[in-house]
Amino acid sequence: MLPYMDHFGLSAEDLRATLVFALSKGGDFAEVFLEYGASDYILMEDDIVKETAESVGIGCGIRVLTGEQTGFGYTNDLSLEKVQKAALTAAAIAKGRYRSAARPLRERALRGDVARVIRPAHTAGMAKKIGLVRDAYDAARHFDPRIVKVKASLRNSVQFIAIANSEGLLVRDVRPMVRLTCVAIAEKDGRRESGYWGGGGRTGLEYFRDVLTPGRIGAEAAAAAVLLLGATDAPAGEMPIVLSPGHSGVLIHEAVGHLLEADFNRKKTSVFWNKMGKKVGTDQVTIHDDPTIPASRGSYNVDDEGTVPRRTLLIEKGVVAGLLQDRLSARLMRKPLTGHGRRQDYTHWPVPRMANTYIDPGEYDPAEILASVKKGFYVDSLQGGQVEDSGKFTFSVSLGHLIEDGKLTAPVRQATLIGTNIDILKRLTMVGTDLAFGLQTGTCSKEGQDVPVNDGCPTMKISRMTVGGRR
Amino acid sequence: MRELAERLVAWGKAGGADEIEVSIIDGREFDVNVRRGRIENLVEAGSRVLGLRVIKDKRTAIASSSDLEPGTLRRLVRNAVRRAELAEPDEFAGLAPLTPSAVDAASLRLHDPEVTALDPKTMIGLALETERIALADKRITNSYGAGFSSDDASVYLANSNGFSGGYSGTYCGLSVGLQAGGTDDRVEDSWYSSKRFFRELASPEAVAKKAVERTVRQLRPRKVKTKNVPIVFEPMMTSWVLGFLFSCVAGTSVYQKSSFLSEKLGRRIGNRLVDVVDDGLIPGELGSRPFDSDGVPCRRTVVVDKGVLRNFLCNVYASRKLGLETTGNADGGGVSPHNFSLAPGTSTPEEIVRSVKEGLLLIRTLGHGLNSVTGDISRGAFGLWIENGEIAFPVSEITISGNLGALLQGIAMVGNDLDFLSPVAGPTIKVDGMTVAGE
Repeated sequence: MLPYMDHFGLSAEDLRATLVFALSKGGDFAEVFLEYGASDYILMEDDIVKETAESVGIGCGIRVLTGEQTGFGYTNDLSLEKVQKAALTAAAIAKGRYRSAARPLRERALRGDVARVIRPAHTAGMAKKIGLVRDAYDAARHFDPRIVKVKASLRNSVQFIAIANSEGLLVRDVRPMVRLTCVAIAEKDGRRESGYWGGGGRTGLEYFRDVLTPGRIGAEAAAAAVLLLGATDAPAGEMPIVLSPGHSGVLIHEAVGHLLEADFNRKKTSVFWNKMGKKVGTDQVTIHDDPTIPASRGSYNVDDEGTVPRRTLLIEKGVVAGLLQDRLSARLMRKPLTGHGRRQDYTHWPVPRMANTYIDPGEYDPAEILASVKKGFYVDSLQGGQVEDSGKFTFSVSLGHLIEDGKLTAPVRQATLIGTNIDILKRLTMVGTDLAFGLQTGTCSKEGQDVPVNDGCPTMKISRMTVGGRR
Repeated sequence: MRELAERLVAWGKAGGADEIEVSIIDGREFDVNVRRGRIENLVEAGSRVLGLRVIKDKRTAIASSSDLEPGTLRRLVRNAVRRAELAEPDEFAGLAPLTPSAVDAASLRLHDPEVTALDPKTMIGLALETERIALADKRITNSYGAGFSSDDASVYLANSNGFSGGYSGTYCGLSVGLQAGGTDDRVEDSWYSSKRFFRELASPEAVAKKAVERTVRQLRPRKVKTKNVPIVFEPMMTSWVLGFLFSCVAGTSVYQKSSFLSEKLGRRIGNRLVDVVDDGLIPGELGSRPFDSDGVPCRRTVVVDKGVLRNFLCNVYASRKLGLETTGNADGGGVSPHNFSLAPGTSTPEEIVRSVKEGLLLIRTLGHGLNSVTGDISRGAFGLWIENGEIAFPVSEITISGNLGALLQGIAMVGNDLDFLSPVAGPTIKVDGMTVAGE
């Protein structure tokens, strides 16, 4: 364990005194979130290691809750004076006198660790890490003569956090993360296409030897770009869709996950707010969010308000079964905590977020699912999506295939798929046995905050959905 | 700030760097969100961040820190000089030569003391008032809340070529988000105003009324059959297309071959109605500044002239890579637009809608679906269907798709309603022949 309290220079007594300051104008709850983050970045393009970067971030965010209201202040000057000034800023939300006492702090020891690290990236030498980037770069560059441009980069970070609150909780954690990605551009007859691949997670450099090699990351990015050179425009209109395992998890993230975040339901803006216990999808659909999956990018030992998370059931056999909770919503809705209060960094307060969201495996053989479609669209890879509270959502396909007589035929380039979640869940008629997770490179944005996530799904069929192609 | 920045430059030179650049941003923010008549959250904070770039033997290392302890900063400078040796020589690396600037920061009107002096009560009051006016409309069934934010940031930049300069800018914004309809036929939208000067900000009434109108006009949408029709882009949608055009004319995308316009300099990329300018020197606008993050003076650059691509927007690095001149668009390691706009035409938005026999008035999009490598556009869309020059009914759950190259060639009419709501802005336009996918 690293001596990270040294990064903050604040004792447990300082934290308790700060919490007392924070509650000096009343308020039901106060919390101090301390963060020290360090990251390294290596970029390779134009056949050279172009630059390396190091970044250090330190700061403290303090919030005070009073009913539904949040007061928040932050500072990156961790002198006790500035921290207590931020506490007074947060306290301004309350309009009374000190009443609820800040309890003495007791440190909660964490059991186990979701991070799986043998060779930590943040202590490894730069030369070693540059070697990994170069391997990915070279694999893409030499994959095919039509590859004209490659960009490979590695980012590793470690985040030390300490959270103290007026209920007496004190918890600390260390969160390592690594990510190696490659973008390749292929060109033929004046037409250019790009391909992307990557991997990582809460793991160490051994991942790039044991799980996914840099060579494979480079080759997959290049292969995707080259394949797209021969791709046709996507069809336009409604048709059956088959989703590839793993990469299509974005659909579950957008169509279901966001709208089961507790804040949207507490405020009744989500289409799901009045559907708890109601059937919204086929029997095939069971969805969980699990922040405890070892080594996964979306995982954590405690959320950003100190709650130990648990695997949370969201949809069970098509019935809405649960919400992703943070402290504020759980308290107002009188529900148990699930450990999904997350924040980008100390400059933000936590809100309910997903971690690793997936649809459980079903009973169909993937080959049987594909064979059931006479004419349709197969989604190979996705590059993200968006949803609004009405349930309308889109996701962008970066590579697809036409399905003709139950077989994959021509590759198809970029297209957007659009639907309404309640309709799509009812049309999710076949779910495969082959659950897989997507690339360990995903980031989710909500209310201006980015957090690392992952998602997964088996092969699935949606009986009818609008494909936004051009033909 | 000046002293700290110049001291770090001196440390870097003494520590063995050939060239070093240091930037410091010191900001203060106030944000309030109100919902259903009560404060939902209130934030007040100040923060500083320092960035540095070191070049040694044409090898580059960069670093950033929000920890401004001298010990940490010394270590970062030392590490960066050492780390530079791990990169490989790049003949294009290097700071901008010192160029005399004719830009007078004061005349740009970037800083409004009134914003800095705003009382929290006033700001909270404006947010509450905006939401109250919106919720008074019976058609509005739920609120995402209203918000007011203000920001005052100072930037200082010093480098070993002798550049040393700084400026301050303010920002204030008022916004509200709304829903209309029942749980199962919800529609939503929002509106906002954001300015450098408080007295230029739209009134609570104007923001609320516009948000209500934008929301309720989408009630009871239909889905349409897949077809190829003209699309009328509202100004916000034209701005979105221009943001995509910017990413394709950014010098960094061009040398990385990730723009479909890479080889099109001096060639026709749109029809004669397309005039696009990037201007960093419009007084009082959000995208204006005296110099960029390379220390190069900002300027006005013609990007597209009557359909012909005239300039890529570059930082020093991209300009050297491409053998072009820098346009003062450096932002961190990349390139960002200043005030980037499509020149207005002469038609009113109403005339443009009236000219359409059957088509889509595009009001909102959902999702990503932009590919600068190919110019392809494919997005979820919300709009109003136009029949015989009249708005007939709202449509949703459709997508629009096309290609930016074809779109610029297919602009048939340009509106007279350019307004810099954001630094990237355009008027209403009509584009012939894009695919609307529906049933």
